Amino acid sequence: MMAIRELKVCLLGDTGVGKSSIVCRFVQDHFDHNISPTIGASFMTKTVPCGNELHKFLIWDTAGQERFHSLAPMYYRGSAAAVIVYDITKQDSFHTLKKWVKELKEHGPENIVMAIAGNKCDLSDIREVPMKDAKEYAESIGAIVVETSAKNAVNIEELFQGIMIRTVCSSSLASWCWLCRRLLVSSELAAGLGHAAVPAVLGGVCLHRDSRL
Amino acid sequence: MKKGPGSGACPGVGVPDKITEPNSGGSGSNGASAKEKDVLPSPGELENIQLKPSSETHRKKLCGYLNKLGIRGPIKTWKSRWFIYDENKCHLLYYRTAQDINPLGSIDLSTACFDCKVENDEGVFEIRTPNRVFTLKAISKQAMMYWLQQLQVRRWEFCSAQSRFPVGSSQLVNEPLVDRTNVADDEGFLPPVKTPTEVVGLQAASLPAPQTATALQNISLKHPWTEIQNTVYNICGSKQLWGNDGNVFNFNKFQEHPEQEAEVEAQCTVKETPEDGRMESRLNLFRKAKWMNSSLTEEQPRERNSMDKVNVLQQQMLTLTEEVKSQKELVKLLHKALEAAQQEKRVSSMYLTAAEDKDRLELVRHKVRQIADLTSRLEALEQEKKELEQILTLRDSHIQELKEHVQLLMEKNHAKQQVIMALTEQTAREHSDPLQEANTITAETLYKQQEEIEHLKDDIDAYKTQNQFLNSEIHQVTRLWTRVAENEKALLMKCAYLQAQNCQMESKYLTVLRKLQETVCGLPSSHAELVRNLIQEALRWDVKEGADLNLDPVSEYDEYGFMTVPDYEVEDWKLLAKIQALEMKSNNLRSQEVVEKPLRDRWNSIGELSPSAELKSLIRSGIPVEHRQRVWKWIVSQHCSYLPDHYQRLLRQSKSTEHPACRQIELDLPRTLTNNKHFSSPTSQLIPKLRRVLLAFSWHNPAIGYCQGLNRLAAVALLVLEDEENAFWCLVHIVENLMPADYYSDTLITSQVDQRVFKDFLAEKLPRLMAHFEQYQIDVSLITFNWFLVAFVDSLVSDILLRVWDAFLYEGTKVIFRYALAIFKYNEEEILRIHDSVEIYQYLRFFTRMIVDGRKLMNIAFNDLNPFPMKLLRNRRRIHRGELETELCELEQIKAAYVKGRAEQGSRGLEEVVSEEEEEI
Repeated sequence: MMAIRELKVCLLGDTGVGKSSIVCRFVQDHFDHNISPTIGASFMTKTVPCGNELHKFLIWDTAGQERFHSLAPMYYRGSAAAVIVYDITKQDSFHTLKKWVKELKEHGPENIVMAIAGNKCDLSDIREVPMKDAKEYAESIGAIVVETSAKNAVNIEELFQGIMIRTVCSSSLASWCWLCRRLLVSSELAAGLGHAAVPAVLGGVCLHRDSRL
Repeated sequence: MKKGPGSGACPGVGVPDKITEPNSGGSGSNGASAKEKDVLPSPGELENIQLKPSSETHRKKLCGYLNKLGIRGPIKTWKSRWFIYDENKCHLLYYRTAQDINPLGSIDLSTACFDCKVENDEGVFEIRTPNRVFTLKAISKQAMMYWLQQLQVRRWEFCSAQSRFPVGSSQLVNEPLVDRTNVADDEGFLPPVKTPTEVVGLQAASLPAPQTATALQNISLKHPWTEIQNTVYNICGSKQLWGNDGNVFNFNKFQEHPEQEAEVEAQCTVKETPEDGRMESRLNLFRKAKWMNSSLTEEQPRERNSMDKVNVLQQQMLTLTEEVKSQKELVKLLHKALEAAQQEKRVSSMYLTAAEDKDRLELVRHKVRQIADLTSRLEALEQEKKELEQILTLRDSHIQELKEHVQLLMEKNHAKQQVIMALTEQTAREHSDPLQEANTITAETLYKQQEEIEHLKDDIDAYKTQNQFLNSEIHQVTRLWTRVAENEKALLMKCAYLQAQNCQMESKYLTVLRKLQETVCGLPSSHAELVRNLIQEALRWDVKEGADLNLDPVSEYDEYGFMTVPDYEVEDWKLLAKIQALEMKSNNLRSQEVVEKPLRDRWNSIGELSPSAELKSLIRSGIPVEHRQRVWKWIVSQHCSYLPDHYQRLLRQSKSTEHPACRQIELDLPRTLTNNKHFSSPTSQLIPKLRRVLLAFSWHNPAIGYCQGLNRLAAVALLVLEDEENAFWCLVHIVENLMPADYYSDTLITSQVDQRVFKDFLAEKLPRLMAHFEQYQIDVSLITFNWFLVAFVDSLVSDILLRVWDAFLYEGTKVIFRYALAIFKYNEEEILRIHDSVEIYQYLRFFTRMIVDGRKLMNIAFNDLNPFPMKLLRNRRRIHRGELETELCELEQIKAAYVKGRAEQGSRGLEEVVSEEEEEI
């Protein structure tokens, strides 16, 4: 049986930038112009094969309106990754993105992988946020950055692939370090963490666990 | 029209047929009828009559001549038609003549009502069918009443038989007969009219059409083909029909009725022995008398005929007497002339016979003397005449004088009269005493008035009859209506039951399909293909524009425009949703008679709404669609004092100034209730309405402005209330009265509080489930937060959603708690079976939509979860609010400390990645 890794991802970003559309495109490969605005949050899952493993994305899609920000901790708590979405045709949404990054840094889980998605790249004619700005900013915070179009299915798969690679690395690294510390204390606890293979590069040890344990 | 040798001789000859009953023993040997039976349009009926002549119960055939008012063309004319009632179909068929084979048309009596008006000519009545009004004219009032009553009776019988056997069984003649006697007994509006046998019944067929209209006039221009057929038939048929036994036919008939009056017998004998000269002359005399007496028509009673006859004879006698008188006068004159002539003759003969001249001279002298004498007398007379003339002129002048005098007097009198008139009028005006007025009424006016009174009395009688008839008509039609209504109700029930069954079947079928789909990979490819096709077929909506009959057990949209099956991407979900929609419909249909109907009746009996325990329980059970708008409006008006012009003012404000919330509202407008057809279309009327309501609200309550979710609340309000101002006040009612303060404001703090309160209730009411959630680290507020914020919009299926809203609007936010708990309780066992946190979340994401039994959910919410004191809710809210506020405060402090720390870190200029690594190690 293939190993399944669960990967909690939350989507953050200004209202109407296309968070739900990105999720919808990724999970159902479907696009709807007028997808209902998210109230609170919505939850979806998608399982993607990756090498000899299955990665199950548990995606928490949040509401964009500012007054819902106070709820966000509920959703990003325990997330391995956060996709922060902005609308390339709206400068405002890029500002909101920066606020989110700040909040995550302050209150978010440690080692959370951040991915910046500049959505609606099909509308580059009316672009307000230059690609360069986003790239520079992403580099400054060490985040993945990609311009997407949920409508035309551009870079959506790539976005989540990128997250997958980064989380595997970072969590493996983190868990590796953590394991190194803990293995001496209790091997059982380590089993409880349910982490999968640590890339061989990192230490030549290959732990293989079923996440279902 | 062909006539029998004797019958058509004169208009009055219809009388002989008068008493012949259609099913009297004699008609069996009636040659003409016997032939008719082979060729008449409904031979079966005639056969009945002839084969069962002794049958007492069998009723007379309803047929006869009537005049029908043509409706085509500019000139409306009366056309004589032969009407015959067809019992099997309850149709009144009409032909040009009784011998015709094809009817010109038919009137469906089962759906008709009858009417007669006094204003119309005598004998005119109407048959109204849904499509057309037939104006018919019987030859007399009596005949008309006969027709009307008979038609009523037949319609009643037919409809009774129909309603008693709605399935369409064609039996039972006796049942309606019993019924008919009942009708006659308890109605009593009009005494049954004696059958005017000479104008109705089969015998009337041999009569000429009652109105002596020309053949051309009667020809139907509308039915040329039928006309031709009938004519051809008549030509062929009449040869056989009247060929050799016409006389016998008449003879036999009269033989059966020796009580016929003498006149008729006389005629019969004449027909019997036409070569008898003596009788012939007698007949002629008889006919002559009848011709002279033109008022003799076949329908009048005999007394009237003889009276008229006497009148005419008296008149004749008078003229003859006068003639005799003048003749006598003439004879007298002639006598005088004769006398004079004789004297002259005598004198002449004396002169001639005189022997001598002397004698002759004497004679001449005598004559001369005589002449002189006469001359003098003449002169004297002339003198006298002159005198008289003079006197006459004198008198004339005197008369002239007198005339003038009279004229003068007349004028005087006239003037006086005028003065008197004026004075009388004056006094009349002054006193206006009715008695005085009565005194002034002269004999003439009295007479006139009496005459008028007579007329009015006649009119009253006529109106009375009309009234009685119409009463009976109304009575019968009402009874028919009641019966039909009952029938309809029964059929509707059956229909609902069948529909429910159909839904069940369909849902079972879809379930089977779904199961098959799961195992589709294991099936051979052709089978797999079949299953796929069937599923696609099941999910397709057969939308035929303008089709009245939708065979789909559930329609694509419900009465508020919500899609019954949401447009899920995954086919399996769609299938599941359709199964649910079917289950729901079947549930609703099954409960219709037992649960819904009594509720509906109770709703219908509520006139003025007023707060009460009964209304509360009624509202909890869900307001019927037809009452929902009214009740919601009432609830909102109870709590919001509609400020006049307030809404309009807000609209003006929102037009002049742009609210900061405007952008968010615009963003959300096209994505509100996307599963409702009234909002999913960008051209829908409701979207601009929604925009105005939300903008007005953002100005009305600037503290809230606009919060995502308000769009859904306003949209549901708009769907039900339709009027945007009402929807606005409904939104105000929800946000400002029902929900606690700060539910939608900047931090949504009370919404968050409610989540904690809800978790408390969940732990209290459903401890097993809560423990399960804790075990799998499920935070239900992730799921339930939006239930509370938008009162379940987009979570529950529309049918249940609106029921929840009914109670929510009336009772407030506690209803949301009750239902939220009920939803979990409804699915408790199901959730307890899942042992994986992701799967639980997955399940919770959809489980609200899986609820199909709204009634069960309601019972859980309002019965199983009791007690549910408001006080407890309030207390818990207070406690949690305090806690949350402290937490938020602490968080703020941490934040502030962090920012401070960051600022210090920043001054050291460290890279974030490095800091991460630092933390990790």
